[in-house]
Amino acid sequence: MDMEPLAQGTPKRRRWVVEKREKKKKKKKKKKKKREQMEDPQANGDHNHNHIPKKLKLSSPSSFISDSEIRQEFAHHQLGIARINNGSFGSCPASIIAAQKQWQLRFLQQPDDFFFNHLQNGILRSRTLITSLINADHVDEVSIVDNATTAAAIVLQHVGWAFAEGRFQKGDAVVMLHCAFQAVKKSIEAYVTRAGGSVIVVQLPFPVHSDQEIIAEFRKGLAMGKAHGRKVRLAIIDHITSMPCVVIPVRELVQICREEGVEQVFVDAAHAIGSVHVDVKEIGADFYVSNLHKWFFCPPSVAFLYCRKSPIALDLHHPVVSHEYGNGLAIESAWIGTRDYSSQLVVPDVLDFVNRFEGGIAGIRKRNHDAVVRMGELLARAWGTHLGSPPEMCPSMAMVGLPSSLRISSDDDALKLRTHLRDHFEVEVPIYYQALKDGEIGGDNWDGRVAGYARISHQVYNTVDDYLKLRDAINQLVKDGVTCNNLP
Amino acid sequence: MASDDHHIPNGSTTTPPDIQFEFAHHDPAIARINNGSFGSCPSSVISAQQDWQLKWLQQPDDFYFNTLKPSILKARLIIRDLINADHVEEISIVDNATTAAAIVLQHVTWSFLSSQFQPGDAAIILHYAYGAVKKSLQAYVARAGGQIIEVKLPFPVNSDEEIIQEFRKALELGRMNGRKIRLALIDHITSMPSVVIPVKELVKMCREEDVDQIFVDGAHSIGCVDIDVKDIGADYYTSNLHKWFFCPPAVAFLYCKKSDILNQLHHPVVSHEYGNGLAIESSWIGTRDYSAQLVVPEVMDFVNRFDGGIDGIKKRNHEKVVEMAIMLAKAWGTHLGVPPHMCSSMAMVGLPACLGIFSHSDGLKLRAYLRDCFKVEVPIYHREPEKGEDSPITGYARISHQVYNTVEDYYKFRDAVNKLVNDGVTCAFLSD
Repeated sequence: MDMEPLAQGTPKRRRWVVEKREKKKKKKKKKKKKREQMEDPQANGDHNHNHIPKKLKLSSPSSFISDSEIRQEFAHHQLGIARINNGSFGSCPASIIAAQKQWQLRFLQQPDDFFFNHLQNGILRSRTLITSLINADHVDEVSIVDNATTAAAIVLQHVGWAFAEGRFQKGDAVVMLHCAFQAVKKSIEAYVTRAGGSVIVVQLPFPVHSDQEIIAEFRKGLAMGKAHGRKVRLAIIDHITSMPCVVIPVRELVQICREEGVEQVFVDAAHAIGSVHVDVKEIGADFYVSNLHKWFFCPPSVAFLYCRKSPIALDLHHPVVSHEYGNGLAIESAWIGTRDYSSQLVVPDVLDFVNRFEGGIAGIRKRNHDAVVRMGELLARAWGTHLGSPPEMCPSMAMVGLPSSLRISSDDDALKLRTHLRDHFEVEVPIYYQALKDGEIGGDNWDGRVAGYARISHQVYNTVDDYLKLRDAINQLVKDGVTCNNLP
Repeated sequence: MASDDHHIPNGSTTTPPDIQFEFAHHDPAIARINNGSFGSCPSSVISAQQDWQLKWLQQPDDFYFNTLKPSILKARLIIRDLINADHVEEISIVDNATTAAAIVLQHVTWSFLSSQFQPGDAAIILHYAYGAVKKSLQAYVARAGGQIIEVKLPFPVNSDEEIIQEFRKALELGRMNGRKIRLALIDHITSMPSVVIPVKELVKMCREEDVDQIFVDGAHSIGCVDIDVKDIGADYYTSNLHKWFFCPPAVAFLYCKKSDILNQLHHPVVSHEYGNGLAIESSWIGTRDYSAQLVVPEVMDFVNRFDGGIDGIKKRNHEKVVEMAIMLAKAWGTHLGVPPHMCSSMAMVGLPACLGIFSHSDGLKLRAYLRDCFKVEVPIYHREPEKGEDSPITGYARISHQVYNTVEDYYKFRDAVNKLVNDGVTCAFLSD
């Protein structure tokens, strides 16, 4: 470039001005890219980096997500519904849905290229992030599957084979909580009972007042079950039971299992991630599963199954057998035939989302917990009832006693009430029927007996009005003398 | 809505679809001649699917309690009619043929474990059975004590008779020493190499030879060849709707002929509906996105906008792919691996021997090279030459034709291969 001064107005000068402008633009772009890479190592294609973006985010309070932005993110939720059941099916913000659509489009555009060049990397990236989130040692320990139901099938099918191949003897036992998720109970029937195993059911108290109650009952139940020298091969323990919803002291229960000679422990933590703190090493179980679409903002559906490194982990298989059979559960699970894997690929986007909140996912958990407890107490006061468990045993959900005048007498009644609340009051909340305990007198004595609980959830999109709507709905039903018997 | 209303040969009450619009999301730079592997889905169906996904996200509880099951039932009823099954209970919807295989084979496992089958009882499969299915046989049949007999089929192949003969030989061998054949697993259209198998005749033979049960893996079939499950006569039949039937990934049906055994089949992912029948079990296997299963009615609307509906599409795809295959074979001086009547909407076209395709990994390398350097997407099959063959053709391209393909796609492929030949490129030179 010549150094002579350029005369104003000449084409040469005009060219020089344009070139200078372009150079400036390029420099600015480069700086921006570098800044972005510092904030997100993955922008570099650095797939194996365990780094969680939030640690680098230099956020100031003004850059946290605002209330109106949150409303926008969940604008697709049906208007008018008090949606206080995040626990059943979860929720997914608009920006994650958009990210998922991008992945779906990439597959549709050129599926072969996607399959050969992008899918495996995408899944590995998600697995790596999850490994950090849950404090696992190694990404090999983390497989991604559809949901906790699938994870249960994987672990229980392995138990089935152990019976079939003589490693377990007929009558060897599997332990479960009486309130284990129905799908898991069926899976035990399908894979354990059918293969000759027996099942020890441990009753847990509800309402419950402390961890100690649970620990004592579990110890008792396990000891009773082991009577006559029965060998206990596997214990399945919920981290957060579904119905009724209680945070279980899993770490202590896992320890009891070890002390009592239980061979393996599987923690069904379907609700855990995004709801309570998850540290798989601290909990110490052999298998741990949680759904990311419940409380971790992923689209339906995606879950991780953590399997502590051991010889047994090598013998686990996904029940849908495909090309990768024998290459390890994580690799098997990453290809189970042509399907839409997009929900498994948005985990990095979800981390970006939660980091827009103050305190990231930990902040979200805390605020959800505090709010649901506050709302639970508000409802209990309004109805003259109580919470089914103390605040410290509530995650982002709480069990709130319903007025006895509703006369909830069965699971069917609970479902009828739930439907009625949905259809006539635009409130979505699951109802739990609390069966009579041994020795309790039922019959027509409904005086003050809380036979039903509402399991209320709180997620970032909820507002106080949602709970006031439930409060008023129930008050209306009580005022009108409605019972589950005379529900339309 | 009665989709028959739209099925008028001259298309007078419906507008034919705008193919360009419907497949505008396909990468325009690629000659996409591999519909067989992952299928394709038109925009109007994707849009319908997104509507279903939104419904779920809006109010999942209401969707779960009030909408999901009736919508799956609607899809099952349509499929029942499409394949001429008798009862809707015989139709289950699952993710894909891989899942269907796991369901049928897991039942075989239980039969061994409960001593209904004896160690050494056999399953018979085609040597060209899909890789994932072979693994499933390892996982569920071999592991439980069963023997696997593979039927070697000739390729190139010239007639149905050749296949029937080999299969008969293998059946006889299989039954030697009084061994019981518990299951025959027969492809309707093999994947690699792609050949339409005379399934009706093979099923008949299996019945004559006292094979317990027959499972037809028709992964490619629906939308590609005719399916009449009663006519074919198998106990189980599966096909993917996302390959040739315009559904989004992923949805397949598993047909199970009504029998006592039907009650014993289970989905391996066990959930609340365990014990309520395979179809009901399969309709809820935990929280998931079931939307791909719900767009079958919209797909019927789509195919019925074509002249002749799905039958017209099948016919035209078949004729076109044969025409293109013959054009390519002429241009390269090679041949078709399979005669036209044994081609579906796919054809196997010999590649020039000078390309030096000597292994499966050579085929993969060539496929990647064609994708990256020539923007052509087509799977390559490697075949072991027979002893004494003179300058054998060891590589075949499996070309597909679907409604979005144009002649240019195949010219692009033709020219790419011609260039490779002119430049003296061989697979040995291609990087891994």
